[in-house]
Amino acid sequence: MATEQILDCPLDQVPDGPEYIEAAMRWHFSPETGSPFWLERAKTLGFDPREDVRTLDDLRRFPNVANELRDVRVDDLIPRGYGADADVVGVYESGGTTGPPKRVVLLRDWMDRLAHRTELDLRARGYPEDGHWLYLGPTGPHILGEMVRRQAARRGGIRFTIDIDPRWVKRCIAENRCDEAERYAEHLIDQSAHILRSQDVRVLVTTPPLLTRLARRDALVDLINSKIAAISWGGASMDPDTRYLLRTEVFPGVKLYGTYGSTMILGGVPERVTAPDEDIVIFDTFSPYIMFSVVDRETGEAVRYGDRGQVVMHHVSKSFLLPNNLERDLATCVAPPPGQMGDSVAEVGPLPVFDDQPVIEGVY
Amino acid sequence: MEEPILLDALGAGGPYHSRVRRTITDLTGTPVAELSLVPRLFVQRTMAALRGARTLPPHDRASALARAGRLFATGTVAGLPAEEYQHIVSRVSGMPIAVVRSATAGIGRRTRDAYRITRHARPQGAVDDWRDPLTCDGHAVWTRRGDVFAVHAAGNHPGVHSLWLQALALGYRVAVRPSRREPFTPHRLITALRESGFGEDQVVLLPTDYAVADDIIRDADLAMVYGGQEVVSKYGNDVNVLPQGPGRSKILLTGEDWKPHLGTIVDSVSAFGGTACVNATAVLVEGDPAPVAEAVAERLSAIPSLPPEDDGAVLPLQPVADARAIEKYLLDHMDGATPVLGGDGVVDELGDGSAVLRPAVFLVDRPDAPQTGLELSFPCVWFAPWSRADGIEPLRNTLVLTAITSDDALIDRLVEEPSIRNVYLGDTPTYLMPPWVPHDAYLGEFLMRTKGVIRT
Repeated sequence: MATEQILDCPLDQVPDGPEYIEAAMRWHFSPETGSPFWLERAKTLGFDPREDVRTLDDLRRFPNVANELRDVRVDDLIPRGYGADADVVGVYESGGTTGPPKRVVLLRDWMDRLAHRTELDLRARGYPEDGHWLYLGPTGPHILGEMVRRQAARRGGIRFTIDIDPRWVKRCIAENRCDEAERYAEHLIDQSAHILRSQDVRVLVTTPPLLTRLARRDALVDLINSKIAAISWGGASMDPDTRYLLRTEVFPGVKLYGTYGSTMILGGVPERVTAPDEDIVIFDTFSPYIMFSVVDRETGEAVRYGDRGQVVMHHVSKSFLLPNNLERDLATCVAPPPGQMGDSVAEVGPLPVFDDQPVIEGVY
Repeated sequence: MEEPILLDALGAGGPYHSRVRRTITDLTGTPVAELSLVPRLFVQRTMAALRGARTLPPHDRASALARAGRLFATGTVAGLPAEEYQHIVSRVSGMPIAVVRSATAGIGRRTRDAYRITRHARPQGAVDDWRDPLTCDGHAVWTRRGDVFAVHAAGNHPGVHSLWLQALALGYRVAVRPSRREPFTPHRLITALRESGFGEDQVVLLPTDYAVADDIIRDADLAMVYGGQEVVSKYGNDVNVLPQGPGRSKILLTGEDWKPHLGTIVDSVSAFGGTACVNATAVLVEGDPAPVAEAVAERLSAIPSLPPEDDGAVLPLQPVADARAIEKYLLDHMDGATPVLGGDGVVDELGDGSAVLRPAVFLVDRPDAPQTGLELSFPCVWFAPWSRADGIEPLRNTLVLTAITSDDALIDRLVEEPSIRNVYLGDTPTYLMPPWVPHDAYLGEFLMRTKGVIRT
């Protein structure tokens, strides 16, 4: 089959994994179709992806180029194969936690593919078919807000939102201005309260810290329980006790599903549907487009199912290639469902921060 | 291997066994307990429940405290007999078993008497209830400054948990964040209080990781925080937080023959294994401090190295790595001091992964040497010369000052100095803490205030 046919496979079909990866390598590393960024980068790889990369394991041969996305011209990220009039939806940026933000380009064909998949996921999880959405998460150059806007529109709803600049919060905290961060966060909750009170919103998309903060106000808890049918959380990890309390005590009648994603994979994947009494959040992937590998923190070797390790993310689509990107998350490696390339992940959390080292001086 | 003890969080809805837990190990690294850690959401819901709860009437509080004190000291609580609790605390914290036993009895007494102890702090001009006939002509009523009291506890000595009971006695609902070093004592105490009549929405145990700790303070009306200088600096200007910082207790000897007072000095340095804020950190001697330092060092060096569960143990223990870190810190900060004892190290490894911290005695050449404020959690003392020309400046910022002197004018100045919180005179060891003597003022002074009531 021709390269483009494989990469443009119909939205309701899943391409064969190895054949797909080979096609993607041909696309991204052929002078006629590859992006200027990757064609230039290929010169120093030391291998020829068109010959040497055929499997998920082979993707791990790539260096992690994510840091180079901080400075690269976005024009150079668009594969030449799209021609002069590539349908650019937008340019999005990473959070900026570890330096200047990394930039990616969202092209229409990938967005449509992901939106189709997300629609199926929402149906499988019983999200309400109508009603509006409240997005209480990073806006501006952050991709999730845009994805949610389109998802709500696709289902005939409106996405309400408020301005949220997470980098300002991070900066306040880094500068030990915790009072400012606190004021800003309460300002966000105040604004979302107006929307929750006055509008017919049925889906809430937010982050675990903001969800915990919403739960501080009894009136908002009551509003959410009466109006909201489903809550999607993402953008940060949720510890299992918080999840348990939210499901059993705070929002007992509301569906609660996590999303695990990253700007660097141009999207995210939803929590696996499990039996209600199963006390674990598992994320399967959208392979062969979005794939995970869980690796040992020290050696970089693959860990066994059930073991913990650091998450490596891969994005392989016609629009963009970012393989072998080591994320700052730890996760338990979980066996994938049939047909999925790469690992599923559970119990995702940040790398431990050693901020409570014992203080020696003084008796306490 | 024995099953680890499960230390649940004690929330407003009962014990909570969390999914995220911290393993508590003993001195040799053997796991002995799993401590449930609660997330921010649990903390905020628990603090809201405390705020919404109703306080027990004073009489019920007093009688529940009396029952809880007996239960804590001698009973079986959460499945643990008192002896077993003491053994675990000793094996985990490295505190000598005799110190733990005496602390258990002490906490028991302070719990039993907590209500009565609060009476010492009540101004003579105030009554407890607006119904008191004295208010008819106008009177002061002693009232709480808030409803919810939070404690960031320490794990250096179980006795830190005998203070916050006064808040409970005065009608506060209380949230305790235990130290990760020793959560057994507050878990036992709060369980005993609940079995003795305090509701689950009256007193809670909230073990949390570092990131959530401040939430407990934010959601309380008043808080007491144990810690080092950084805690004092962080909360020093917050009128709603009472920092319990370094004690930097001292002894001053002027012009006397020091020999009869040797026992007082040695005991002040080494009681409780030297782990308390009331242990002497510095001794200032009018004249030459060297002979005194040598005599103290001789007495301290005779103390044997023993495992903490040995009845004769006096010195504290730590896991070897922690002990080595403390030793390195000490040697890095000697900075010109003359070692009399412990200059080549203070760690005595017992071979099972634990190590005794042996006493250290140093001489510095002036009373304001920075080392005199260097407080470490084992018997470690700095001797300095002092003369009347130095004045009381080097004696400032002291929790307990024992002054062995016959100079009444000097005593006047010491008692008047605001940054010296307790002045003990003569052969009074720094570690004495009878309940009727304030520790760092009466806690009641922080918890309560007078309110005018006039009935017409």
